[in-house]
Amino acid sequence: MSPILFWLFTALMLAFGTSVVLNRDPVASALSLVASFLCLSALFVGLDAFFIGVIQILVYAGAVMVLFLFIIMLLDLKAEQRRQFNRLSLAGGGAVAVGFMFELLHVLNSFSIGKNPFPPLGVARLDDVRQVGITLFTQFNLPFQTVGVLVLVASVGVIVLSRRELK
Amino acid sequence: MFPPISLEILVLALGFILLLAESFSNSTNKRGLAHIAIFCLGWIFAISFFTASAPATLAPGSYWNFYSGDGVSLVFKRIALLTTIAVLVLALDYESTLAKLLPSAHKGAGTGEFYILPLFTCTGLMLMASAVDLVMAFAALELVTISFYVLVAYARRSHASLEAGVKYLILGALSTGFIVYGITWIFGLTGETHFTKVAEKLAHLRGDDTAILFAFLLVLVGLGFKVAAVPFQSWVPDVYEGAPTPVTAFLSVGSKAASFLLFLRVLEPFLGVESILPKVLQVLAIVAGATLIFGNLAALPQNSLKRLLAYSSIGHAGYLLTAIACIGAGGSLLLGVGTTVGYYLFAYMLMTLLAFAVLTLVSVNSKGEEIQHFNGLSKRSPFLAFAMVVAMSSLAGVPLTAGFYGKFLVFAQIIQAHQWGLLALGVITVGAGFYYYFRVVAAMYWHDPLETTPITVAPLSKITISLLIASIFYFGINPNPVLSALRTSAPSVAAAAH
Repeated sequence: MSPILFWLFTALMLAFGTSVVLNRDPVASALSLVASFLCLSALFVGLDAFFIGVIQILVYAGAVMVLFLFIIMLLDLKAEQRRQFNRLSLAGGGAVAVGFMFELLHVLNSFSIGKNPFPPLGVARLDDVRQVGITLFTQFNLPFQTVGVLVLVASVGVIVLSRRELK
Repeated sequence: MFPPISLEILVLALGFILLLAESFSNSTNKRGLAHIAIFCLGWIFAISFFTASAPATLAPGSYWNFYSGDGVSLVFKRIALLTTIAVLVLALDYESTLAKLLPSAHKGAGTGEFYILPLFTCTGLMLMASAVDLVMAFAALELVTISFYVLVAYARRSHASLEAGVKYLILGALSTGFIVYGITWIFGLTGETHFTKVAEKLAHLRGDDTAILFAFLLVLVGLGFKVAAVPFQSWVPDVYEGAPTPVTAFLSVGSKAASFLLFLRVLEPFLGVESILPKVLQVLAIVAGATLIFGNLAALPQNSLKRLLAYSSIGHAGYLLTAIACIGAGGSLLLGVGTTVGYYLFAYMLMTLLAFAVLTLVSVNSKGEEIQHFNGLSKRSPFLAFAMVVAMSSLAGVPLTAGFYGKFLVFAQIIQAHQWGLLALGVITVGAGFYYYFRVVAAMYWHDPLETTPITVAPLSKITISLLIASIFYFGINPNPVLSALRTSAPSVAAAAH
């Protein structure tokens, strides 16, 4: 992947990510998140991980975020009021974030593997759909089935918590 | 002999069957579901004594790369099963309160899933106890956490329950983020997710101490949230207080027990890295000390018993972390620490479930969970008052109770490791514990009751409470059955790594 494209998409992704948090209009926030996901999938495509890149767009940007937008519009959410933050908690949160960033910089600086460029992959085009499928359904079958139960529990939970009148 | 995974499969099948029965039956009485679940879980518990232990393999592509059926995991599975049974008994007692807090079409509607979801949580807890791979551990942990999100917010008409649900969701998601980030670092450093292979690779990494330490800290933060270690405990009091009481009991026992076993398993590969060992132990000692102080001192001024039990749960996490911090050099004592932690959690399960069982009955009858609602309980129900005395004595650590022996093991560990600072903290906090636990006892026996209506206890709850009281005394006097079950087989990871 060309470094220019990498930096371009990373910068865009971070910019849209920031705008998700900063925007007070929920529709604008959701759309920024879609844009952020698009840039992320561009990064995946740049790493030759086409399947994950496509899934990122289909599932997250396509299905999940469109559903989000539907909900926002159905509920007719208005722009949030600007909230007054407690100065102490603002300072505390900022200190944790800045501290974490410096820690990360320190760790990356002393990380020997991180200083070398990643060796190029042997095969330029992996049949990644097949690889993901084989890994998921044979090698990682047990965790995969556990996740299946998790999804069932989540969907039961959503119905229980959102149904207007329980029967 | 049954293979170890049959326990998970049976509980899961029970959950599916009850879920289908709940949706297709016309019966409005959901209590039958809970009775069936309790009955079947009792049988599954009995089956757990006929399962063969099968340590994890390292064969490529095998199911058992992710799953270890060793003796320690079997004990934790029994803890999960017993906790679920007790929680379902509590849920039956709690039904009248819960029904008022649900937007139901008719009486008792919507309580069905409240009895079924704990079964899925139980499956998750058992898978977590057996997980020997980061991917498996994460999937099981999420199964547990997501079912808890639903259960905590279950009483939808109660603002406290909803608030607790949202708080738990947001902070739980944050802690999940830390765990996943930690896992990516571990995977990035070693290229492996299996604990044994991670241990091998980590021991041979040179010059990347900072990165290894960073990965350890990220996982510590994430699991610290789950076990309620300071400074990641801020969600505990509010979530415990707002959640329906049976769910609080489940959270404080089931989730904590499985998370501690997972914590031990994740910790083990890092203990093999000699260059960072002193730092790892130092961090653990600091977190343990802070948890001890905060949990026990913050419990002192509490007036709500549920909140008091929340802080006491933090305090007990402190004792467990102290035992872990005293592992000593080389990590060869992990088997010993595993036994201490396992026994302590077993005792903690008995006494905490007993305390919550009494709390549920009193709160349903008195419409409140403050300590003042326990005033004069000895006149309203001498049986419940006695049960509470046993629970509080065991939590405080009075000799001849299971709680005492658990604390004894922890202190023995501290003395072995020559951690005199932690020893002093431990002694002081145990003293503080006596004060706040016995405030409840004083209220029950020496204060005049707010109301005098006697409390009737349902037969099933009576049997459960009696069994819990009997086990607290039995395992306090004769802890050997639990200890030998924990010692029978070394954790497979330890055996393979050393």
